[in-house]
Amino acid sequence: MAVGRTDMVHDYRMVPEDFVKHLLGTLVIVVALVLLVSALFSVPEAPPLTIRGYARTQPVAFEQMALRALDGQGRIADYGPPYNHGTGSLQSPMQAAVGILHPINAATDFILKPLTMAAVINPALIKPLATFRHASAAQQAKWETAYSTALAKGVYRHGRVVVAGTGYGPLPSLMNATLALGRSGLMSGALTRNGAVVTRFNNQNYLLFLQGDPLHDKAAPLQLLGEQWGIIHPAVPGYPGAWWMTIPTWIYQWPFVAQSPAADAMALSLGFGVWLILALTPWIPGWNRVPRYLGLYRLIWKNYYQDQASEEGSSQTAGNKVGPMVGSQ
Amino acid sequence: MANWTQTSKELLGPVMSVETWLPTEMPEYAQGFMYMLGSLTASSFVACVGSGIVLAMNGAASWSYNDAMRFVAATHFWSVQAFFFFMMLHLWRVFFTGAWRGGRGMTWVLGAIAFLVAVPTAFTGFLINGDLYSQWNAVQAKDGINALGLGWVNLSNAGQMFGMHVVVMPLILTVIIGAHITLVRLKSVVPPYPTGRDAAEPTPVGKGGR
Ligand code: HEM
Repeated sequence: MAVGRTDMVHDYRMVPEDFVKHLLGTLVIVVALVLLVSALFSVPEAPPLTIRGYARTQPVAFEQMALRALDGQGRIADYGPPYNHGTGSLQSPMQAAVGILHPINAATDFILKPLTMAAVINPALIKPLATFRHASAAQQAKWETAYSTALAKGVYRHGRVVVAGTGYGPLPSLMNATLALGRSGLMSGALTRNGAVVTRFNNQNYLLFLQGDPLHDKAAPLQLLGEQWGIIHPAVPGYPGAWWMTIPTWIYQWPFVAQSPAADAMALSLGFGVWLILALTPWIPGWNRVPRYLGLYRLIWKNYYQDQASEEGSSQTAGNKVGPMVGSQ
Repeated sequence: MANWTQTSKELLGPVMSVETWLPTEMPEYAQGFMYMLGSLTASSFVACVGSGIVLAMNGAASWSYNDAMRFVAATHFWSVQAFFFFMMLHLWRVFFTGAWRGGRGMTWVLGAIAFLVAVPTAFTGFLINGDLYSQWNAVQAKDGINALGLGWVNLSNAGQMFGMHVVVMPLILTVIIGAHITLVRLKSVVPPYPTGRDAAEPTPVGKGGR
């Protein structure tokens, strides 16, 4: 890199400095600050939304969500890579190229498998499960549509959601069994199980099962949704969130980004573009001279300039000034 | 090719020298709070790592049901806030002083990369806290990760996120910050812009401002 001769001063002195003291000093400042603020404010933790909690407080909505997993209307059922062959959330060719890395069949994985396990404990489930499995896809869809309509007016009574009318096939039994499983707290185990290993690190299906309305209904009042600048908001109001994401969050609000079906891909790419400009600042003509024109450096180096001026004022000896000594190549 | 050991010795000499790391004098202009911001950022990173080690030793989610661990989690949380806070102030100070001049472009780039890498480092931490914030961010942010073709990074897999946050990301960040600070030590801090009479001299086009 060429160095303009006039873009920096060369006459300055070296002054004594206790570097180790400086480093320990900043560490002590930070530790003291952090201990103080931690003692005063502790840490923000918003209780998570659990399947059990949702099944208990919102039984009808729970069944609606479970039905959407079964009938393929849910967000994950038709998501696309890396979960399945859907197209609902397919935003870019890169996403498609990745393929199915974490396969999810929402109907099977979220509903039918857990119910099949529950049927071992509750044999009354065996028959409705078999009826559903052996029905044609068209028949299943007919039941699902009818039950979905009926659920909108469903009422919760004694552990079940009751709907008016008939013609829903085995769905009332299956959905109420899912509700019971959810209310018991066993559903989470059914969703995070892994037949191959005993560790339970992967809570993917647990989280994705709740992803639609349940989480959105909880996030909206906390201003956590994307269109509410949610990325930078905390889940416990009053605490700082990820405020360093302000620029990407702002990009998400740009109308042409917000309205795009590939909003995430666009916002993140544009955000990366902004970062590139930051990173390449030293080589962007014009932009790399902005600080010089802004003149804020005059404040930052105020003492240096004052000393320099007063020395020039008292005339004489440039001789006692030395150039940079520390490794300036 | 030349002798590799000899070459390494020549390259590493200044990097590993006590003179580089324990200077007893500084340029006169590099004084005061504005020049503490980088060290405050680095100190906050040390605090993040220290509190993080205590959290990791006690196991995932211990901080959610154990009061002592909750306090450690608080110190971790606020260390992260301090880290980003001081980093932003530091970023402004190096920007407003045009600190990439005089062959310090790479120092600036490494700083920018440190910022970029710090974002997912913090984010993976939020994901393993285990509260509503973790849950919501995992399902929300996965769409962006998937869209960028990074689907192997499964935000809703707490085990993967634990490894990322506790091992992978901090290691990468440590290396980058280490390289950044090494360059600062090797090149020293940038001298002030000339003012007054000097500044009036025309700056060569295409060269100045750097
Ligand atoms: C991980 C966060 C960072 C740490 C721990 C860090 C640390 C440091 C330290 C200790 C110094 C020397 C003392 C000082 O000037 O305060 C420094 C200087 C510098 N930093 Fe950073 N930094 C970080 C992020 C950044 C970022 C985001 C940028 C810019 C994009 C940046 C650009 C620079 C530059 C250009 C210098 C040289 C300053 C000069 O010559 O006056 N740093 N950094």
